[in-house]
Amino acid sequence: MENKVLKEQVEKLAALVSGEVEEILGELVLKVRAPHIIETLTGAKNFPNFPCDFLHDLCGLDLVDHLEVVYQLSSLRGPQRLRVKAIVERENPVIDSVTSLWQGANFLEREAFDMFGINFKGHPNLKRIYMWDDFEGYPLRKDYVTEPIEVRNIVRTRIEGE
Amino acid sequence: MDALNNVFVNIAYAIRGLFADPQSVWANLVMSVINFIIVVVIVVLAALILILLERKVAGWTSQRPGPNRLGPRGWFQTIADALKLMGKEDITPAGADKFIFKVAPMIIFSLPMMTLAVIPYGSGMAPIDLDLGIFYFLAISAISTVAFVMAGWGSNNKYSLLGGMRAVAQMISYEIPLLFSLLGVVMITQSFNLGVIVQDQKNIPFILIQPLAFVIYIIAGMAELNRAPFDLVEADQEVVAGPFTEYSGLRWGLFFLGEYGNMTAVSALAATVFLGGWQGPGFFPGWVWFWMKVGVIIFFIMWARWTFPRIRIDHLMHLAWKVLLPLSILNIFLTGLGIYIYRLVMGG
Amino acid sequence: MTIENTEELILNMGPQHPSMHGLFRMVVNLEGETVTKIEPKLGYLHRGMEKLAESRTYAQFIPYTDRLDYLASPHNNWAYVQTVEKLMGVEIPERAEYLRVIFGELARIASHQVCIASTALDMAGWSAWSYAFRDRERICDMYEMTAGSRLTVNIMRIGGIIEPPAEFWPALKSFLNDTPEMIEEYNGIFFGNEIAQGRLKSVGILSKELAENLSITGPVLRASGVNYDVRKAEPYSIYDRFDFNVPVRYGCDSYDRTIIRLDEIVESIKIIKQAVRDIPEGPVMAKVPKVIKPPVGEVYHRVENPKGELGFYIVSDGTTKPARVRIRPATFINLQMLPIVCLGWKIQDVVAIFATLDAVLGEVDK
Repeated sequence: MENKVLKEQVEKLAALVSGEVEEILGELVLKVRAPHIIETLTGAKNFPNFPCDFLHDLCGLDLVDHLEVVYQLSSLRGPQRLRVKAIVERENPVIDSVTSLWQGANFLEREAFDMFGINFKGHPNLKRIYMWDDFEGYPLRKDYVTEPIEVRNIVRTRIEGE
Repeated sequence: MDALNNVFVNIAYAIRGLFADPQSVWANLVMSVINFIIVVVIVVLAALILILLERKVAGWTSQRPGPNRLGPRGWFQTIADALKLMGKEDITPAGADKFIFKVAPMIIFSLPMMTLAVIPYGSGMAPIDLDLGIFYFLAISAISTVAFVMAGWGSNNKYSLLGGMRAVAQMISYEIPLLFSLLGVVMITQSFNLGVIVQDQKNIPFILIQPLAFVIYIIAGMAELNRAPFDLVEADQEVVAGPFTEYSGLRWGLFFLGEYGNMTAVSALAATVFLGGWQGPGFFPGWVWFWMKVGVIIFFIMWARWTFPRIRIDHLMHLAWKVLLPLSILNIFLTGLGIYIYRLVMGG
Repeated sequence: MTIENTEELILNMGPQHPSMHGLFRMVVNLEGETVTKIEPKLGYLHRGMEKLAESRTYAQFIPYTDRLDYLASPHNNWAYVQTVEKLMGVEIPERAEYLRVIFGELARIASHQVCIASTALDMAGWSAWSYAFRDRERICDMYEMTAGSRLTVNIMRIGGIIEPPAEFWPALKSFLNDTPEMIEEYNGIFFGNEIAQGRLKSVGILSKELAENLSITGPVLRASGVNYDVRKAEPYSIYDRFDFNVPVRYGCDSYDRTIIRLDEIVESIKIIKQAVRDIPEGPVMAKVPKVIKPPVGEVYHRVENPKGELGFYIVSDGTTKPARVRIRPATFINLQMLPIVCLGWKIQDVVAIFATLDAVLGEVDK
């Protein structure tokens, strides 16, 4: 029942921001393009009756042809859940920062930047959070080449031999 | 009993008797050297015993055995630790102010020797019988502040500097209630001489006449010693080890010796002034009574350390200036009033 | 009065510092003893869990989850295996559900004991620390009986759990009997202490609005007056069968953030007692295919970890290895309050506030 009302609202919002609504394993997923993200999330935050006003999680996702930023929204006052996915170009991954809506997005966006190279416009302190500052590449992208274990072993034996 | 009571005094007489003139300069010199050695031995022995005792008390309060491997029940643990400290490399940080860095531990270590020299350990057993005993004691123990600042500044370490600054704030604040708490006793006995104060407690120890002063003295004394809950200076959770952070090996060991020596000195003064010193209800010689009283106070200080969390710095200042200081002044006032009424009644 | 020509002291606390709970580093600007700015620096324990997951099969990743919040490892296992089960549509046997609840709540008690202990220790309350750790040892003993290890237990499987041996039950029973006395002791030695209360009360205020805005979850959120617990709001596993309360406190300060864990221990004991009473006989493993190959899809699942909400977001591409495993670490997000809440407090309070967050760097740095 609640889910149905929420779904109606999500569909209304999707029409507004030209997004698609899916239902995967019982959870509502709203897919939008990156430029609409602030509009979408502000809309979701202010749903009448069922505001999805708690940013539960934010993460990057690499789908080879494009990147996505996944927002898990929920509420502390109701059972409503909504997953918003923002499609970001692979070559020039730019999206607006949501730190103006939720301060809690600060570390999460820094992590997505660190791991996927997604540029969050308007973030107060967009620096690498886990990797060191002059690290090259974005480890969680599918095209990131990890050093094969054989290579590492060769290096190790050579050092021991010297 | 009397022989046991006076055993050390008699030995001293015997040594003096070896000289042609027992009061000659040479006899005094030899006696001074012997007294000095005795005080050094007291400091070092106290540290050795107290470090182990501390760890045993810590184990007792936190329900674990404490050191128990080396020797019977772990009694040789401190000796092993001391040997280990001697074998450690002596590191001086590159940016340190070398002279200050090296002098600070020596000052800390020398203070308890100077203060313990005026304590009467038994009847006629004060190594130096000063007329201004209490005054001298407090003046000397105040120097430790300087040593802490020297260590904190000289190490060229931010944690040490913070610790040193905390030492200044804390020790200067607690110096005053510590001093005032002793004034009540001085007013009653009309003397700064520790020997006289002990003599006056023949019938009744001053803790019963001056209970408030005793409480203030113990609290301020713990703060003066940087013992938990007042160990902000060396708070290892905040400023790592404060002024001691950069010290290693024997220099660090000197700090440790100094800390336990100071603890002995403060406890000894408490036992002398408030608990009747070597006066006791018989059974044991006076000097045994004295050390038993010191032991009780030391145990209390250790017990408090391992039980209480550390106090916050603003609460620390609050306690010193708004609670202990007014109370100690009140105590002086009440003592004066009491003496006045006593004289009126007794017609003295 | 203004003092001219003074400089702020920039103090680098960590990663090697006695009270930084692992490898946490923060750069603190100090004006005297007062904090003017804090910048947390993470990543000293970063092992790339999410990257590792992509080259492991679903079952192979379970031991890695132990290393997230290593003080409550059954909970991490639980969150992960439940997410995979949700993705595959596996129903697990009743007995396994009950055993999961029992181990999960034991882990919660153990984790909260460590939190109380380390908060006490960060304020130099040595005895309180060893009292709490003494009691935690008994939970570790129970882990050891069941799994053979004491910290990273790895007891959950996709589709079930391992059956504890017969001697587990008397040990659990005696532990539950001793808990009221335990809690009394913590109250006496730590929470009832004047100095401890002075250090913690009305320090580090995290208002309700700020907490919600910062995405804070778990006991830290509940200590700011928000009644929200995933076990009640979105009951996973069999939590809807138990009668328990969600402790909420309204002080928003360090003291409430610490003592709320004691309240949660009481509730966990209630849950375990009910679970022990109701647990049925039966198998502990569902029929799960030898090769785990979930259908294409994605799932997000969250559980109430002792530190906050632990979420797993798994994207499957139909192969034996996940395409993406996203871990939502609770303390990583909770840590964001530190630079905001600590401003204006003394360095001593920063240590205490950090301790009340109960950050486990295994989870923060993934």
